[in-house]
Amino acid sequence: MVYITEAHPSDVWQMESNVKDKVVFASPKDEAERAIVAGACVRKLGIKIPAVLDEFGNSTEQSYTGWPDRMYLIDAGGRVAYKSKPGPFGFKSSELKAALNRLLSTRASR
Amino acid sequence: MAGFRLSPTLRTWLLRISAVLLVVYVCFGGYVWWAMHQTPEKFGQVMAKMPGPVPFLIFPFETAWMHARAGNLSIGDAAPDFSLVKLDKSDHVQLSSFASQRRPVVLIFGSYT
Repeated sequence: MVYITEAHPSDVWQMESNVKDKVVFASPKDEAERAIVAGACVRKLGIKIPAVLDEFGNSTEQSYTGWPDRMYLIDAGGRVAYKSKPGPFGFKSSELKAALNRLLSTRASR
Repeated sequence: MAGFRLSPTLRTWLLRISAVLLVVYVCFGGYVWWAMHQTPEKFGQVMAKMPGPVPFLIFPFETAWMHARAGNLSIGDAAPDFSLVKLDKSDHVQLSSFASQRRPVVLIFGSYT
């Protein structure tokens, strides 16, 4: 997981659903604050996959147009094998699963 | 069957009102489209001032969003390299290190909120 700029911080664009779920965080002011929110996210949601923090200038998010959420599959040669449409509308885990299966079956057949 | 006829005055006013509504619609939609191309913070500030779900109901918001946030990367492109710190600060992760080990990687971008 690449932890990026908050989608709905309380001081910018608060969502009622986040209030209901008690996920209320103001925009982090620096990388340390982003790390605190990211840590809460990983703990509360029980995320097991490795998580890294985008630097505060958001360079990785911008390279990948990752905000507010998005998925990529990078193949073993370092090339984009799957790119989801931008979230939230395009965040479809079933598409990623299919792309992963295609990639892995291609590798297995070699 | 007798046709329904509008008086010339009423017709003129209906045309004017329609023209004004069309201009407002185009301007409002253009504003949302412009906002979609700004930084996440700016886009959020614009959307926070919108009257409830109006932009989602009266504009093809999802279609516009898919275009505005399509991004520059395509299938087959070299994945931009990065070196980012792990959340536990134990190490940095360099994307290209996976390719050098011939290992695929899934990247999931997101945040808590």
